[in-house]
Amino acid sequence: MVTLSNRHSRWTLPMLACALVNFLAAQGLMLGGASWPWQSVSADGTLAAVHLLVIGWLLMLMLAALFQFVPVITARALPSQRLALATFIALEAGLAGMVCGFFGLGHSPALTLALPVGGSAVVLGVALALWNLSVPLLGTRGLTLPGRMLLSAECFLVLTLGLGLTFTLAFAVPSLTPSLAPLLYAVGDHALAGLGGWFTLSAMGVSYKLLPMFMLAPEDRGLTGDVVHLLASLGFALLIGAGLARTWTGSHWLRILQSSGEVAVVIAIAIFLWDILRIYRARQRPLLEAHNRAAVGAFALLGLSAVGTIGLSATGRLEQDAPLLVYGAVFGWLGGLGLTQLYKIIPFLTWLSRYGQRLGREPVPRVQDLVCESRAYRWFALYFLGVLLTSVAVLRDETVGLRFALAWVALATLGLIREYWRAWRAHYPGICQARSRPTPIIADP
Amino acid sequence: MTEPLMLDVRAELRKGGEPLPNILKAVGSLAPGQALRLIAPFEPVPLYAVLGRKGFTHTATRRSDGHWEVLFVPGGAPSAAEPPANGDCWPQPRMFLDNRGLQPPEPMVRILEALEQLGPGQVIEALNERDPLFLYPELQARGAAIRAERTDAGIRLLIRRAESVP
Ligand code: HEM
Repeated sequence: MVTLSNRHSRWTLPMLACALVNFLAAQGLMLGGASWPWQSVSADGTLAAVHLLVIGWLLMLMLAALFQFVPVITARALPSQRLALATFIALEAGLAGMVCGFFGLGHSPALTLALPVGGSAVVLGVALALWNLSVPLLGTRGLTLPGRMLLSAECFLVLTLGLGLTFTLAFAVPSLTPSLAPLLYAVGDHALAGLGGWFTLSAMGVSYKLLPMFMLAPEDRGLTGDVVHLLASLGFALLIGAGLARTWTGSHWLRILQSSGEVAVVIAIAIFLWDILRIYRARQRPLLEAHNRAAVGAFALLGLSAVGTIGLSATGRLEQDAPLLVYGAVFGWLGGLGLTQLYKIIPFLTWLSRYGQRLGREPVPRVQDLVCESRAYRWFALYFLGVLLTSVAVLRDETVGLRFALAWVALATLGLIREYWRAWRAHYPGICQARSRPTPIIADP
Repeated sequence: MTEPLMLDVRAELRKGGEPLPNILKAVGSLAPGQALRLIAPFEPVPLYAVLGRKGFTHTATRRSDGHWEVLFVPGGAPSAAEPPANGDCWPQPRMFLDNRGLQPPEPMVRILEALEQLGPGQVIEALNERDPLFLYPELQARGAAIRAERTDAGIRLLIRRAESVP
C-alpha cells in the first residue's frame, strides 16, 4: 500500500530562473574579456566565471531539478520545503561572496575574506540540500539505478566542496597558507571531482530516469547500467584519489593508477552513450520531443569530450588544453543537457501549477501546447554549433572568431531563455483545443 | 464441450480503438459453458475485474511474441469485490482506465477527467505504469481518496470521489 502526500517543490522554478541569470552573468564575464579564454585559468575573473557557471548555473539547476525529481524517483516527499529555500538563499548569497572574494584576491584582504565566508555559505547550502535529498533516497528500499548513481555522485560533491573550502582558507588566512599550500596543486582534482564525479555521474543518473520516462523506453538498464555506474564511480575515484596522493607524495607509480582511472571513465562513458542510443532506439514514442531530440547534442559533446581527453592525453597536451575540456563539459555536455531538459521541466511545472486545479473540469492546454518546438530547435542547434565553434576558435587561436563564437553562444542562450519565458507565461496556447474525453471502460451497467 | 470463442483485439487496438464493446458483445454471444480466448498486445488486467464479476475465471499466458493470450472460463459464482485493496465498504469501481503505454502526464489527465465524471462517493480503478506522483496532490485538493497497490502489471489505483463535491 502506498499512501502519499506529495507536494511539488515550490522553489524549483525560482531557482531555475536564478540559475539562468547566473549562466548569463558568467557568459558576460567571458564576453567582456574578464575571464578565460582571454585571461589565464588562474585569473580572478576566470575563477569567478568558473564558479558562476558550476555553482550558480549547474549546481543550482541540478539541485532545483533534484528537489523536484527525487520525490518522483523515490515516491517520498522531501523532508522540508523550508530547507530547500534555505539552500537556495545560501547558494546564491554564498556565490556572490565567492565572486567578490575571487576579484579581491591578492589586492584586498578584506574582500579575499569574502571567499571562505561565501564558500562556507555555499557548503552549508549544499549540506542542507544533501540532507533533504538523502533522507528520501536512503529511506527507499530497492533504490533504482538513478538513485544509486546520485548517492555515489554526492560523495564526490562532498569531496569537491571540501577541497574548494580548503583552497579558500589557504588564500584568505595567511597563517594557514604554509600548511595548506601543497593542496593547492590539487586544483585539477577539485575540478575533476566536481565536473566528473559529481556532475557527470549525477547527470548520467538523471538521464537514465528522464529519457525512458518521456520516451516510453524500458527503464531497467540491467547489468549495463550497473557496469556504467561502477566503472564511472571507480574510475573517478581512482583518478582523483591517485591525483590527490600524488600532490603529497609525488610518487610516479600513482600515475599508472590515474591512467587506469582515466581508462575506466572513458569506457564507462562509451558504454553509457551506447546504452543511451539503445534507449532512443527502443522508445515506443516514434516522435521525439524537442528536449530529447536536442539532448543528442549534449550526449555527442560528452562523447567528444571523452575522445578529446584521450587524444590530448596521447599527445601530451592534456595539461595545456584542459581548460578547453572544462569548457566542453560545462557548456556542451552538462550545460547543454541542462538547457534541453529545462525545455521539458519548465513547461511541465508551469502546466501543473497553472492548470492542475482545472484538469478534468474544463478544457485546458496540454503540456505540448505551451511550447513551440520548431523555434526551440533553431536555438538549440545554434547553441551547440556555437559551443563547437568556440572550441575550434580556441584551438586555432582565432581572436576575432572567438569573440564572434562567444557572442553566438550567448545569443542562442538568450533565445532559449525567451522560449522558457514564453512557456512560463503561456504565450503559445492562445486558443486551447477542446480536449477529447477519455474513453473509459465502463463497468457493467 | 464447445471450443473456446477466439477474439483477437490487436488490430482494433492498433487502430487506436476501444475493444471493450466487442469483448462484451463476444461474451454475450457465448454458448452456456463456452470459454473465451482473448488475444491482446498487453495483459488486459482491467478486464479481469469486469469479467470476474460475471463469474469468469482467467488464465493468462504470455506468448513468445510478447503478446498475451487469456482464457476466460465461465462458472463459479460471480466474484465479489474484485480489487483486493477494497477492504472496507468502497463501492465497486464505475470505470476502469488502462493508462499503461501513455506518456506522462497523460495518465494523470485521464484520471482527473474520469474522476470529474463520477458521482459523489463513486470509485474508478486505474492501472498505471508508474506511480503518478504529481496526481496525488491534485486528488487531495479535490478531496478524493486514493488507494494504490503495486502489482506485476503496474500500479493499480482505486480513487474515490469526495462525498460532497466542492
Ligand atoms: C560543484 C562545485 C564546484 C566545481 C565543479 C568547481 C570547479 C572548479 C574548477 C574547474 C576550478 C579551476 C578553475 C581554474 O583554474 O580556472 C576551480 C578552482 C577553485 N575552486 Fe572550485 N568548484 C566547485 C566548488 C567550489 C567551492 C564550493 C569552493 C569554495 C568553497 C571552490 C573554490 C575554488 C577555489 C578557491 C579555486 C581556485 C584554486 C586555485 O586556483 O588554486 N570551488 N573550481
